[in-house]
Amino acid sequence: MAHPSQLGFQDAASPLMEELLHFHDHALMIVFLISAFVLYIIVAMITSKLTDKLILDSQEIEVIWTVLPAMGSSQIAILSLRILYLMDEINDPHLTIKAMGHQWYWSYEYTDYQDLGFDSYMVPTQDLTPGQFRLLEADHRMVIPVESPIRVLISAEDVLHSWAVPSLGVKVDAIPGRLNQTTFIVNRPGILYGQCSEICGANHSFMPIVIEAVPLPHFENWTSLMMAEYT
Amino acid sequence: MFATVRKQLRSHPALIPLFIFIGGGVTMSMMYLGRLALKNPDVCWDRKNNPEPWNKLGPNDQYKFFTVNMDYSKLKKDRPDF
Repeated sequence: MAHPSQLGFQDAASPLMEELLHFHDHALMIVFLISAFVLYIIVAMITSKLTDKLILDSQEIEVIWTVLPAMGSSQIAILSLRILYLMDEINDPHLTIKAMGHQWYWSYEYTDYQDLGFDSYMVPTQDLTPGQFRLLEADHRMVIPVESPIRVLISAEDVLHSWAVPSLGVKVDAIPGRLNQTTFIVNRPGILYGQCSEICGANHSFMPIVIEAVPLPHFENWTSLMMAEYT
Repeated sequence: MFATVRKQLRSHPALIPLFIFIGGGVTMSMMYLGRLALKNPDVCWDRKNNPEPWNKLGPNDQYKFFTVNMDYSKLKKDRPDF
């Protein structure tokens, strides 16, 4: 989850988000270099006492300031296209979960495990226990095994929603009548938070997504417990 | 028109890299658009003979332009035949 006054991205929990972080660092470094250079030129121009009233043009500097930006932009473009195509790859998921958006909660269906399905409502602020996060906790978490490719099929039952988990680099719109697919791998056990990212009515800010990534034996225990309760 | 451009290029040779980069960018964009128009399975040109090309994809077809890690020809076919 995000820390107070956090400026950058949340720590990556999936390899795709790590790639996104690296790309962001690369592009931001290029942007910082250009900005620092431009700032230096501005200061140098303003504080210089040299003048030349007869300069009209210069072919050499025109070549330089065409070629250098083109090379910088093509560097960003090639890496950007690489990660764009990387995000679309589906790598043989072990588990398929359906996440359905409702007003104003998410419901998760684990149809690989008979009929397991449950709703996930936000924990109201007055019911939080000490140590829980306001507007981020849910009563039932989506539990998944770590280091396994997971496929999530996302749709909505009423209006537009969006299933987003920033630390995985996932944001997929939930559109009624349409099935969207995303895959990810969670690198490490932990609890990952996200919030609904498409305006859906009065409680749009109050339908969080909570993913709990656990080792596989714990996941199997959890599914057995849940099947006993919810199927 | 090209004669005028060539004459201006002789007195302003700095424009040559500009032509190269802009021309290259436009060429690559048009080539990709052409590829999308002709080879994208979502596009239907011939309603009589090939009405729904998106139904003709096999599990080993690669329709994306570029794959980083996946080799589509090595995928197993795990769907039932109809």
